[in-house]
Amino acid sequence: MKRLLCYGIVALGLVEPALAEQTITLGASVQETGALANTGRYYRDGYEFAVQRINDRGGVKVGGEHYRLALKIFDNQSDVNLSVRQYTQLLTQDKVNFLLGPFASDYALADSSVAEKYEVPMIEGGGASDQIFSRGYKYIFGTLPVASRYFESTVEVLTKLDPAPKTVALVYADDAFDVAVAKGTRERLQNGGFKIAQDERYSSNTSDFSSLISQTKASAPDVVLVAGHETEALNFIRQSKSLDFSPKLYAFTVGVPTADFRHALGADANYAFGMTSWLPSAALKDDYFSNAEIFAGDYRKQFGYDPDYHAASAVADVETFAKAIEAAGTLDPKKVRDAIAQVDFESLYGRIQFSAAGQINLPQTVVQVQNDSLVPIYGHKGFINKPRYPMPAWDKRQ
Amino acid sequence: MRPLGWAASTAVLAVLASVPWIASPTLIQFGITTLLLATVAQAWNIVGGYAGYASFGNSVFYGLGSYGTAIAMVQLNLPFGVGLALGAALAMLFALLLGLPVLRLRGHYFAIATLALALAMTGIVSNLEIAGRNTGLVLPLLKGDALFYELALGLLALVTLTVIWISRSRFGFGLIAIREDEDAAAVMGVNTTLFKAAAFTLAGFFTALAGGIHAYWITFIDPVSAFDITLNVKMIIMAIFGGAGSVLGPLVGALLLASISEVLTTEVSTAASLFYGLVIVVAVVFMPRGLVNVVRHFKRLGWRYFSENLRSHRL
Amino acid sequence: MALLLQVLANGILLGGLYALMALGLALVWGVLNIVNLAHGAFIMLGAYASYYLFTLLHLDPFAALPLCMLALFLFGYLLQRHVLNLIVRAPMFNTLLVTFGLDVVLTYLAQIVFSADFRVVNPGYAGANFALAGVTLPLVRALAFAVALVLTFALWLLLAHTRLGRAVRACAHNLVAARLYGVEPRTVYALTFGLGAALAGAAGDLYGVVSQFNPYIGDALTAKSFAISIIGGLENPLGVVVGGLFLGILESLTSLYVGPTYTDVASFGVLVLVLIVRPKGLLGRAT
Repeated sequence: MKRLLCYGIVALGLVEPALAEQTITLGASVQETGALANTGRYYRDGYEFAVQRINDRGGVKVGGEHYRLALKIFDNQSDVNLSVRQYTQLLTQDKVNFLLGPFASDYALADSSVAEKYEVPMIEGGGASDQIFSRGYKYIFGTLPVASRYFESTVEVLTKLDPAPKTVALVYADDAFDVAVAKGTRERLQNGGFKIAQDERYSSNTSDFSSLISQTKASAPDVVLVAGHETEALNFIRQSKSLDFSPKLYAFTVGVPTADFRHALGADANYAFGMTSWLPSAALKDDYFSNAEIFAGDYRKQFGYDPDYHAASAVADVETFAKAIEAAGTLDPKKVRDAIAQVDFESLYGRIQFSAAGQINLPQTVVQVQNDSLVPIYGHKGFINKPRYPMPAWDKRQ
Repeated sequence: MRPLGWAASTAVLAVLASVPWIASPTLIQFGITTLLLATVAQAWNIVGGYAGYASFGNSVFYGLGSYGTAIAMVQLNLPFGVGLALGAALAMLFALLLGLPVLRLRGHYFAIATLALALAMTGIVSNLEIAGRNTGLVLPLLKGDALFYELALGLLALVTLTVIWISRSRFGFGLIAIREDEDAAAVMGVNTTLFKAAAFTLAGFFTALAGGIHAYWITFIDPVSAFDITLNVKMIIMAIFGGAGSVLGPLVGALLLASISEVLTTEVSTAASLFYGLVIVVAVVFMPRGLVNVVRHFKRLGWRYFSENLRSHRL
Repeated sequence: MALLLQVLANGILLGGLYALMALGLALVWGVLNIVNLAHGAFIMLGAYASYYLFTLLHLDPFAALPLCMLALFLFGYLLQRHVLNLIVRAPMFNTLLVTFGLDVVLTYLAQIVFSADFRVVNPGYAGANFALAGVTLPLVRALAFAVALVLTFALWLLLAHTRLGRAVRACAHNLVAARLYGVEPRTVYALTFGLGAALAGAAGDLYGVVSQFNPYIGDALTAKSFAISIIGGLENPLGVVVGGLFLGILESLTSLYVGPTYTDVASFGVLVLVLIVRPKGLLGRAT
């Protein structure tokens, strides 16, 4: 309902003849319904929030003229084929100026081809797989850090723990993102001198991890690294408890930083390690939202739930367009594309700057759930807080 | 068809063929999607409408066509045409090897078996290295939709001509006999195994080609989207809604349903799936023999057509 | 060896859960010849029912079992009476399509009402387990296994030894004759379908304690339930237990010896094999 209202207000702004204001339309196909809607909504809400705020702060100035941002969002119903058709429609029928990306790497993989085909830049904040950026495409940019480096900070932490862990089990889902994570993590572990006790790929959307957990338990690793989706991480933890499996440390690529994940697990979430490319810290200053902490509070007030890095990434995408368009001084897609490639500014999400391939370079902060709250443990400057290690057995937890 | 029918059809075909040069890109895109959907619905019609074997496994043919094309182009660096041929060959091989044992089943057991085949194939392909496992394959980008549109149109024309030929050949009569009473047909000398296998293979051939064209057009396939069961249901619904066992039925059904769905996806995108569900329920309850049948009998029976259907089918 | 035992134990307990899931589908299919493609959606609704009973009324999932079953029973009864009865005498294929359409509608409505967020039912004992002969057994799964056995036995009793059961079987065999004996088929069909839905509700009630759920879990569960029902055989309620155990053990062993990504290939591959070679299932008479 709120979304319709927001969209209605934006649409009204477009229709208002008296203002005769010019608009720049950003188009996106997002998972508002379907299996990925749980995370897709962060992108829809993030995009809307950013567009709204940028317009409140004066919109975008293009070569001396004043423009408002407008948003056109389609629901791809968590169907990749539909999202491709919708992006094509956004460009050919709705004639949007630029594109914002979907959630998830496989969608970004498919949809970025549309951007490349029509030579209109797309900035996506939902796909981290290296594959997206290794095809030589010029019109795709991503604000999620490189998938293969997701566990980089975590492995660094492992080298600094005492007693030092020696064996690691690597368990990962078989989708584009997690396979990329596993590939990079494998190399990192081998270089770090760890013995990989288990290296197991499982089907996406697995709901029963009993056999996998039993196998992992039998190989008795010190550490378990899980690259998968939120729902899988959730099931993994719960089923580990019911099978009495408790390694010294386990870390997950997703889930831990998100509030409803921790809420669903309750006390079982404690001791779990995760990572986030973003924390709502006041140190992250922003031209439109003051800083990340204030942003988080405002976001919560507007949408009723806490934002996480997905939402922040989405906001960063919109801000990048605003900055790039102003820098280019024109709405020509090629020139804006070049401007995006050159951006370098601080935002509530962190420093926005893209590599030659088009991907951002942000370090992951290792976090841990301690006493039911999320505690940052290790960032690019080293340890922030003391990790709780090793994890006690299930029946020995307080 | 009388000469007037042929003339009219050729005219329609000529108009449709000129679309890429006169219509907007969105219309072309819609056209490609609808043409491919109509093709797979018409192909399903051969085995589901004429032979009466409701197959839930046509999505396997579609997926094999997609993967055949993708593997040929991406892993083996072969041209698109070769890819299409490979996909079609894979599908036909599958139809013969697995179709023969599965076609021995009747009624809903056949439907379930084909459904299981589709699910098993998704699992198998997601484990094959050459198919890119579960992450899928990214095909090379071809700018411009005209090629895909014309190919899709040509394919639809081809499959419809095939169905026209079936509708008046001994082969077709044999299929209808199998549908109405398979045992009687066998007694009358119809080689039911051969006919069923041929129908299944034909359906597979056309569906695979459609899958191959779609794969190259959309530039990305993965097991879940290539072997999509909902696509299978869509083709069945379109064929049935229009009228299974008739030549025009699947075309009408595909065009109507795709249009309404496209409008919904644009305007009220989230309700599109609700719409599909409701259409299915209403169509199957009130007009199980399809729109073509409604048109044929409505003049005579009026609204009683629907209540007659209800009365004969309800408990 | 210890690992093999543990994996086998996992498979058996998983089998119990599977049997519970498939029971409702097998009943309706075997007895009424109605193939319910919305079965998974019923399980999903049962899970949400238990979720709200647990979160709002703090009702333990096992205590909520009869309530969930009752709610789903009413739902199924009304659905059969007013919608599905309209196509019972149509070709079998029509029920497949109609129930598929229902599945789509139910999933969509569930998403609107419950949102796409995943949910869990997390009573205090959700992670409890006990050790037996060196094998760790999760408590909830063991209890679910017991519930599956109890319900299967109860179902068998109902069908074989009660008036209602006889009426149901009569309708399935010969509708006209049943009518002549005073059986009202519309009510009987509706009651049976309601019962099938109630069993799905029971499965859903316990599902939430074992795994997370959201509006979209229906399709995968329906597919699994199909495999279980057919492999076990539709003629005997016990077939579901056999089918469930077989599939549970098969999947667990496949995960161990071949790889976790091959479980679907194994289950559905075996389903195709069973259909081709022995369509009446493991417990059915050989064709």
